[in-house]
Amino acid sequence: MSRSWLLCGMKPLQGSTHFSLGNQKVEKRMGCQQSLQSSEVLKVRTIYINDPLKNTFCTNSISTTKYSKWSFLPRYLYLQFSKAANAFFLFITILQQIPGVSPIGQYTTLLPLLVILAISGIKEVVEDYKRYMADKVVNSKTTSVFRQNSWHVIKWHEVNVGDIVKTLNEEFLPADMILISSSEPQSMCYVATANLDGETNLKIRQASLEVAGIIKEGQLVNLDGKIECEEPDRQFNNFVGTLYLRGKSPISVGPDQMLLRGTQLKNTQWIIGVVIYTGFETKLMQDEDMHYEQNDLYAMARTSNLNEELGQVKYLFSDKTGTLTCNTMAFKKCTIAGIIYGNHSDNTDDGNENLSRASFCEFNDPKLLENFEDGHPSSEYIKEFLTLLCVCHTVIPERCGNDILYQASSPDEAALVKGAKKLGFVFTTRTPYSVTIEVMTETHTFEILNILEFSSNRKRMSIIVRTPAGHLRLYCKGADTVIYERLSKDSLFVEDTLKHLEIFATEGLRTLCIAYTDLTETEYQDWLQEYKKASAVSQNRIQRLEECYEIIEKEFLLLGATAIEDRLQANVPETISTLLKANIKIWVLTGDKQETAVNIAFSCKLISSTTPRIYLNADSFEAAQQTINHNCGDLGNLLGKENDLALIIDGETLKYALRFEIQKKFLDLALSCRAVLCCRLSPLQKAEIVDLVKKHEEAITLAVGDGANDVGMIRMAHVGVGISGNEGMQATNNSDYSIAQFRYLEKLLLVHGTWNYFRVTKCILYSFYKNVVLYIIGLWFSFVNGFSGQIIFEHWCISLYNVIFTSLPPLTLGIFEKCCSQKSLLEYPQLYTVFQTGEMFNTKVFWIQCINALIHSFILFWFPTKMLEHDMILRHGYTTDYLFLGNFIYSYVVVTVCLKAGLETTSWNRFSHVAIWGSIISWILFFSVYSFFWPIFSVAPEMTGQINMVLSCPHFWMGFLLVPTTCLIQNFFWKLIKNTYKRGLLEEIQELESRKDSILEHSEIFEKRMTAASLAVSFSTQPCEIFFRDDSVDLSAPHGYAFSQTEGAVVTQEELVRAYDTAKMENSRISKRSSDFSEIF
Amino acid sequence: MSRNVLNVPEVCLVSYRTNMEKEFQHHLSRMPENSAIKQQKLPAHRLHFSNQAIFTIFFATGAFCFCIGIILLLSAWKVQEIEINYTNICEDCAKMRENALNFDKQCTCSIPFNLQKTMKGDVYMYYKLYGFYQNLYRYVLSRSHNQLMGKDVRDVKDCAPFKVTSNKIPIAPCGAIANSMFNDTIILSYIRSTSEHIQVPMLKTGLTWWTDKYVKFQNPSFRNLSDHFVGTEKPPYWQEPIYELDTSDPGNNGFLNDDFIVWMRTAAFPTFKKLYRRLYRVKYFSDGLPAGNYTFDISYNFPVTKFQGEKAVILSTLTWNGGSSIFLGLAYTVTGVFLWMSSFALMAIQGKMRKKKLSHRR
Repeated sequence: MSRSWLLCGMKPLQGSTHFSLGNQKVEKRMGCQQSLQSSEVLKVRTIYINDPLKNTFCTNSISTTKYSKWSFLPRYLYLQFSKAANAFFLFITILQQIPGVSPIGQYTTLLPLLVILAISGIKEVVEDYKRYMADKVVNSKTTSVFRQNSWHVIKWHEVNVGDIVKTLNEEFLPADMILISSSEPQSMCYVATANLDGETNLKIRQASLEVAGIIKEGQLVNLDGKIECEEPDRQFNNFVGTLYLRGKSPISVGPDQMLLRGTQLKNTQWIIGVVIYTGFETKLMQDEDMHYEQNDLYAMARTSNLNEELGQVKYLFSDKTGTLTCNTMAFKKCTIAGIIYGNHSDNTDDGNENLSRASFCEFNDPKLLENFEDGHPSSEYIKEFLTLLCVCHTVIPERCGNDILYQASSPDEAALVKGAKKLGFVFTTRTPYSVTIEVMTETHTFEILNILEFSSNRKRMSIIVRTPAGHLRLYCKGADTVIYERLSKDSLFVEDTLKHLEIFATEGLRTLCIAYTDLTETEYQDWLQEYKKASAVSQNRIQRLEECYEIIEKEFLLLGATAIEDRLQANVPETISTLLKANIKIWVLTGDKQETAVNIAFSCKLISSTTPRIYLNADSFEAAQQTINHNCGDLGNLLGKENDLALIIDGETLKYALRFEIQKKFLDLALSCRAVLCCRLSPLQKAEIVDLVKKHEEAITLAVGDGANDVGMIRMAHVGVGISGNEGMQATNNSDYSIAQFRYLEKLLLVHGTWNYFRVTKCILYSFYKNVVLYIIGLWFSFVNGFSGQIIFEHWCISLYNVIFTSLPPLTLGIFEKCCSQKSLLEYPQLYTVFQTGEMFNTKVFWIQCINALIHSFILFWFPTKMLEHDMILRHGYTTDYLFLGNFIYSYVVVTVCLKAGLETTSWNRFSHVAIWGSIISWILFFSVYSFFWPIFSVAPEMTGQINMVLSCPHFWMGFLLVPTTCLIQNFFWKLIKNTYKRGLLEEIQELESRKDSILEHSEIFEKRMTAASLAVSFSTQPCEIFFRDDSVDLSAPHGYAFSQTEGAVVTQEELVRAYDTAKMENSRISKRSSDFSEIF
Repeated sequence: MSRNVLNVPEVCLVSYRTNMEKEFQHHLSRMPENSAIKQQKLPAHRLHFSNQAIFTIFFATGAFCFCIGIILLLSAWKVQEIEINYTNICEDCAKMRENALNFDKQCTCSIPFNLQKTMKGDVYMYYKLYGFYQNLYRYVLSRSHNQLMGKDVRDVKDCAPFKVTSNKIPIAPCGAIANSMFNDTIILSYIRSTSEHIQVPMLKTGLTWWTDKYVKFQNPSFRNLSDHFVGTEKPPYWQEPIYELDTSDPGNNGFLNDDFIVWMRTAAFPTFKKLYRRLYRVKYFSDGLPAGNYTFDISYNFPVTKFQGEKAVILSTLTWNGGSSIFLGLAYTVTGVFLWMSSFALMAIQGKMRKKKLSHRR
């Protein structure tokens, strides 16, 4: 990191007074108050457009590698020796270098330590190389820049500040830029920011029209000027700058002209921008930077971040967009005139994934068209319904060959228009004051009189049209609550539609009610006067307009409702239900809207329609505190236990809830709920929530996400999982694990998590065991050698103990051990709880293992000691020495420890056999060879002749049978007793599996299954029977309203719609575009 | 992948597709090898024993251990062994040796004893020291393997604190182990009658491991042994130099002296035996040591009372499994009994559980 910072040379603050003045001017004009602190000396950067040599800022290449060539050794050594274990061994090694201090020689710790350091060094290098390659892929993406009067395709890392860059549709932006021109009317463009903030709707950016005009004239070559703007900071939504073009008055630029690295261009043929921040100075990379540094602080704590944590995950924090959902909307169902359509395809749909994928956006119910064409009583309603879908929206059509493509900032509207098109109601042309639709080869043109815009307050949008027949009509679509309030008494199908809405909502579909009303001329004219007045007001115009809309939006006649599917990724509901069964709590953290989040929670079966929902939406700290206290009070004893409740909180309220005073209360409440949904969160808040849970609950947390906005929580959680999706690689690069789809979490956690936990547990316990066994023997020997420090084994035998003779069994335990098969683990998710609760590995288990090792070492020392104490054990009366005893004991230790590994192994494969028998044989072989080393090599003179005497001694073989047996038979015995008396789910299933291997006794297996199944029941939560007094709790059936649309953008919805004239474009589109290009480029 | 279907114009689909292809290839390259090891699909089996098998394992192992134990006990009981602790019997000598100034005075001590039964077969004589820590860390280290190999008699670098004499002359054999060598002389006499005292013929050689005599210990040269020790000094506690340890057998001198080699193999415990002599089975002794009266004539040189130690002399026969130690036999027998008990305990538990299960089912 530091290297790259050094590269970013700071521009000297020349002439700061002049620029600061300029900036204050800008600030005033833009009404921006928070952006700059006037008390400080303003840091301003000046960018010379089209003159790269004058701009000396950091390059656009990024590097996320941990090391550089030069920093590798010091940094690596520092990191390694900040681990307690390595530091300890370093200390021991240093001590051993003092002559006479160590009884086991100078190199016996140094060499193994060097081997370990070398291995992990290689691992670090390989991993860093992977990071380097990933950076290289990003750095060598290509883009076009305008240099030397022509366009050049260059790599991203060659992009400089001040370059004029052209980006095409669907491309990611290479750096932070100021938009100066685009292919769309009024120099607008759409960007997808899901990567940064997780929001589903597209954002609109618009170049300052003064600039756009210039560019259109084809003056790119002569474009000469500079941009003054702030030094880079991390605020995504803050930007202030001024564009000075030669011979023009200064033009102010702000966030609406800003295109950020990491966002993706959508629905726009091309854009041209001037690069202002590059590389690590881009908003995206800076943010990442911050997290990177944060992570660095945690680096030490994260050393415990190993695979086994996957087996203990208690809290799962999931992003929504791109993780649970595909971020595609599809018109799925509707209800028209009290008849529900689109229901039948449900069953076939789920069956085949490929099929459903292919036809996902298909509204597929022939009944609708049949009813329409066959003159069913409701056919008029159907016509009106579909016409409304075609007319009442802000979508822009674009003809592409014979097909029409739709551009929309709202994915919901795009889905509806597309759905209508499929049903034969094709929206073809939009002119500033009309829309044309094609129904059964007939063309109808609707004059658009007014657009009553959507806002999340209003929860509806209306459009006033003059129908082809000349009638005035208001079409409206919106939330059921707001539409139902405004229904006329004559409205039909009210009850039926409401019922259907509930059905849709329980399935997690996004619903919109569809209604219309006819207006009389006078009524309209009167209203128009009001409207004009309201539009002319300069203060509180939006509020005045909304009040004005209110006047005319009344006496609605209900047509029906639409249901849009926010498509889930494959198998998300199944995965969630399995994970819930495994007692993993799932929290959805999203930047998206509350309604959307709730809908997704329904559709992925995280909450059911009977689940009471606690909504925490407060606008002040006091209100938040009050609501939280009330709800905690209502829960009473059930607080802290898991209840069938859902907690829904938005980012604003969360800000208050995370305040120190009520933090704990809030967490208690959240932990009492089965599902928690946090909406409208900033990336930082996501990380804060994870941090909160991590701090207060001693449980393993896992965060899963796919966008750059999830990076914070992915890094914060114990286990970070990145979904390698379409939204860039930031999440993946920062994660511990990356998977392609949410559903793989099931296998990752339940199978690999469990296995890994099981393996690591066994491996750790076993490693402790074998070392305690060997080294405690030194203690026992001290009792007979006057505590003089003499060791009973030969130096190198001790050193090679962990390197050769007992190195394989922990490896096979750690790599191949399986508690039970993948199939069983997926079949019984409850097994996960065995590991989650830490029954397998806790202090108690650890000490039991240590005591066991102590007993073993006792037997392993004192049995041979007593055997040899008599001294007369060899043929011809030969007497022995201390090492003779040592070799007895060492051989028994190796045999016992290896066989103990066999006892621990539940799943035997060929490697287990190699490890166990091979280790024993390796010792015997080593012993044989090593006894002949002296005097050829000048090591181990004491070993000379030991092998002959040891192997020819009958006592050795007698002990060889007896000592390991005595040690292990007790373990075997206790294991049998435990298996008989204290059977858990794990043991049941293990037995079930081993029986499958041999003979099947059907009835018995059935019985076993029943017990396993009955265990499953105990995990499901009881239905909630709490009496809630607080009005934040919603017990009613869900409504399912959700609608995603850009609000408060630089271009209003009305302006947007009025800007396009696709009728003109249609004829000249292709030629115009080509001429456009040639003119500009 | 499907999320991009929304609003993607034709032109862009092309670029997107190539992207997808790239991504696909990228994934391919990262795809782990589809082998059984990497996919965690190695054929594996689970050890599973039926109740009956477990019972059989325990019972059979128990029976085996028990039998071995009995055999070992019987063979240990067959061994004949006599141990005579002469620390207190030779009290006068012991006292005298406590004063180092008396080093040049001889002290002998005679210990009569009666052998009630003939010791049949090979008979071995051991000396046994109590409380002598040959396994002390610094003691064990204090020797020069290079010197003992005869490579360089002046190599004394590991021998602290007995490397050189006060005149800086290297000691041969150097080191604490050699310096503290056991130097009592024990002679066994058979009293056939009051007038006929026969010295029992004993062998001084063949007491060591083959590797000691032929690999670890070598004299610099066999001829004119004393020449090769020129320039070295005997250890301070020794009375004779290394090349005059056995005046009767020139081959049993220098570093190849059997008593020396036996002593140099440092014992594991503070109480230990070392082989001293073996019976030369000729004349009266061709079948072993006949029953009757004997005397040990001990030339008492090695001080033990100074460190509260004791010493003893032992005569013993040996079986295939060594001496009269009963520990192994006992351990086997007890283990066998325990295994039997556990097998019955397991059977009882399983019976109980089955009953419980049956009553549950009803």
